[in-house]
Parts: sequence; structure tokens; C-alpha cells
Amino acid sequence: MAAFPSASPSPAISASTWRMGSLRAALPTLRPSPAGRLRSSFAPAAAATAASVGCLGSFSGLAPVSNLLSLGAENSSFEQRLFSVDARGRIVAMRHGRRVPKLNRPPDQRKALLRGLTTQLLKHGRIKTTRPRAKAMRKYVEKMITLAKDGSLHKRRQALAFIYEKHVVHALFAEVADRYGEREGGYTRIIPTFPRRGDNAPMAYIELV
Amino acid sequence: MAAHVDPLVMGRVIGDVVDLFVPTVPMSVRFGIRDLTNGCEIKPSIAVDPPAVQIAGRASDLFTLVMTDPDAPSPSEPSLREMLQWLVVNIPGGTDPSQGQVVVPYMGPRPTVGIHRYVMVLFQQKAPMNPPPALAPGSDAARVRFTTRAFSERHQLGLPVAAMYFNAQKEPVSRRRNYGGCSTSSAGRWA
Repeated sequence: MAAFPSASPSPAISASTWRMGSLRAALPTLRPSPAGRLRSSFAPAAAATAASVGCLGSFSGLAPVSNLLSLGAENSSFEQRLFSVDARGRIVAMRHGRRVPKLNRPPDQRKALLRGLTTQLLKHGRIKTTRPRAKAMRKYVEKMITLAKDGSLHKRRQALAFIYEKHVVHALFAEVADRYGEREGGYTRIIPTFPRRGDNAPMAYIELV
Repeated sequence: MAAHVDPLVMGRVIGDVVDLFVPTVPMSVRFGIRDLTNGCEIKPSIAVDPPAVQIAGRASDLFTLVMTDPDAPSPSEPSLREMLQWLVVNIPGGTDPSQGQVVVPYMGPRPTVGIHRYVMVLFQQKAPMNPPPALAPGSDAARVRFTTRAFSERHQLGLPVAAMYFNAQKEPVSRRRNYGGCSTSSAGRWA
């Protein structure tokens, strides 16, 4: 068809007109924004169970209720959060005050994940990962390249403390001058791509410019 | 977030391989049943044979198709940029490259390290070209350090009329997992 379709298709969350009067009556009362998102995300799953169970319509109406709470927890870990909870416990839909991407991991694991990702990016030049991870990685990759641009022994040891493979560090320090000598910042590029099949996570290529 | 950027600019195909151009000729590429879009991921195992390329246009037009890999041998160190995968000239419009003259036979993607882009560029010829005899299949060393811009300048092809790229990476060798292995179950909590 078209020779130049868009590389990143918009996520089609179809708001299906799902006639689930009995199911809606069985649902616990939730706040409107999360319920709207969660219902649309688990409606296909509930449709499958309700259709397969035929005559036990009311029973299948009850079963997803217990799934609702667990689905809410795991769905929001995979999809982008549309809301968050601030320090006072209120729900906020914007990004106000969020400084550090937590990546749903405790701090030690988060640091290890980012170290591993930067090592792989510096080794391979281009990797494919989820979009939030790619966006979180940028800071650390550029930090490593800045260390390499300085080039002194102290900076080399700092880089060796962060990157898991030392041959990657030595190769980086050797070639960064001719590669990024004139460039001030912006050493990475993120290209969004098709979502992952297993969990529909938005993926992106991140590459060294 | 940002305005819609042309995928060729976003993937730096325009910039690394060709200059900014206006696409005039629709071209569609297909590997088996898989239609290609810009930036999609293709496994090297399904790209072993040449794709089916459909070029629109009148039969009196002649086209040249160039397929290169600008990330050889690795995207972080493209010292062998670009590696020529396929070169077909004198393709009549409205047909596919089997009607043209193959100068460099098709070589499937062989990404060694990292994720490589594979770019297919289509030029419109002003006159029939007289190509050198086709390369022998074994000469891979002659394919490296190719420059699409220099090629287009040397044969006065001008700016391309269509371009498309896809990504490919080395497929991991499937390892057999030991499914009957021992797994100690934690049965100590049943007080």
C-alpha cells in the first residue's frame, strides 16, 4: 500500500461497547479514571471467559471481580501509568514532581538493570528495549560517554565501576574522541517501534548517535 | 509528543545513506507473506531469499535498486559502512527486480553484532545503464565500503525516488532447556 507508513503505530485501545450489565452491577465501586482504564484493558479477557462459560453467565460475572484487583496491579506495571499517587496519597494524572523513573524495581535492582542496559548499549551500539527503560537509560549512557571524553585515569576507574565489562570501557575510551569529539551532549537516539507481542509493552530502539 | 517525523529521518537513513529527497514512486517490499514497513524487525532466516519488490511506474521508466547495510560490522563501530547486499539495474517500471540486470547478487542479512538497518533505495535512471558483469557469489570482500551517494553521483542517478529500511539482528541459537531438572520445593513453612 503506502510506501511510507508510520513506524510507530498509535496504540489502539478500542473502547468496545461491551454489554455487561450484570458484570457492571457486580463490580465494586472504583474511582472513575482507573476503572475506565482497567475495564477497557480487561474487557477482552472477561469477554473470553464469559463467552466460553455460556450458561453460567452470572458466575463468570463474579469471577472477573476478583481478577479486577489483581489485574489492576499487574496491568499498571506493564502499561504506562495514567495516574500516580503523590505524597499525600492523592491521585495525580500529570508528571508533577516525578524526578526519578523507578522502573517498578527496588533501588539496588534498578541500578543493576541500568548498569546492564548501558553496558549492552555501549557494546552493541543499538538495542531494543521497552520505552520507559530506554528513556531512563539515556542519562547513564551519556554520563559514561562524558566520562570517556574526559579520559583521565580517575574517570576511567569511575567508568569501570559502573560498566560490567572492562573491554567495553577500554574500547569506549579509545574511540570516543573521534566519534563524539565535536558533539556536545545528545549521544543517544530513541526510535519507538511496534509493541511487544507478549504483554503489549511499548518498545523502542535506543542507539548511539 | 513530537510532530510526526518521517521514519526515514528518524532511523537516520536520510543522513547516513542518502540525502533528503521527496518520494515519488511507490515501492512495496515483501518477504514471503510479510509486508515490510519502515523500521520493522525481520529475522535473517526469512530474509535468505530476495524479497518480492513491487515498483510502480510506466514500463518505459528504468529503475536501479540498491540494498545496503550501513551498520556493518556493528552499529557502534560501522567501519565497513556500507555493505552492499543487492544491486539490480535497468528494472522496467511496474515490475520487480527479476526483470532487471543483477550486478551484485542478493546476499541475505548477516548481522554479526547488534541490530543492523538494511536499506533499500530506488533510483530512477535517465538512460539504460551498461553494467559490469555480475559479481561471482563468493566475493564478499568487494561489497564493503560502498557509498550510495558516490554510486548515484558516478552514474548520474540523482536523488532517490523511494527508500525503505528494516532492522535485523542475529537470531539467538535455541538452547535445549533441561525440563526434567531437579527443583527443590520450599516445604519448610507449613507449620
